[in-house]
Amino acid sequence: LPDGVNISKEARSAISRAASVFVLYATSCANNFAMKGKRKTLNAGDVLSAMEEMEFQRFMVPLKESLEVYRREQKGKKEARKDKDKKADSEEQDKSREEDNDDEDERMEEEEQNDEEEVDN
Amino acid sequence: PGPARLARLPLARVKALVKADPDVALASQEAVFVLARATELFVETIAKDAFVYAQQGKRKTLQRKDLDNAIEAIDEFAFLE
Repeated sequence: LPDGVNISKEARSAISRAASVFVLYATSCANNFAMKGKRKTLNAGDVLSAMEEMEFQRFMVPLKESLEVYRREQKGKKEARKDKDKKADSEEQDKSREEDNDDEDERMEEEEQNDEEEVDN
Repeated sequence: PGPARLARLPLARVKALVKADPDVALASQEAVFVLARATELFVETIAKDAFVYAQQGKRKTLQRKDLDNAIEAIDEFAFLE
């Protein structure tokens, strides 16, 4: 919004609620695509398909661009982690074992990095 | 649309909403990210569209009724009714 424009409390709250409804609706829509593809895991493609379904095609280009940036960042992080692990291995064995466990927990909490993999509940 | 960038909305918040859906088993990190980014774009869009009504009313403050008007007038926002 342009400078000098204010948003009333009620308007703010309404936008916030609308955003939540948007997420819930988009999730449900995306999930339909995942189920059609016989997958149990929602992936980025499902969300993009949901946007099209919801008539928000205008979001497609900026979303795809953002996804590219995100993927590059994640790749960078992964490589930094690999380097950290390599370094830890060359140090004490016990210490590196502990670090490996931490990495595993982190990965599980973040759920999947790889869209193709599926994990059964 | 703004430049390609990462989401400013907290991903944890979006993830919580995704998990609230009983039909969803699991969602990839990327999916949560794209959802967050899409939600930002949605907020930008609805605010801009609602603001048109504020301008018509010669106001500089966006009000609830501006949002109601935008939601009623625009097809894409029908799911909010």
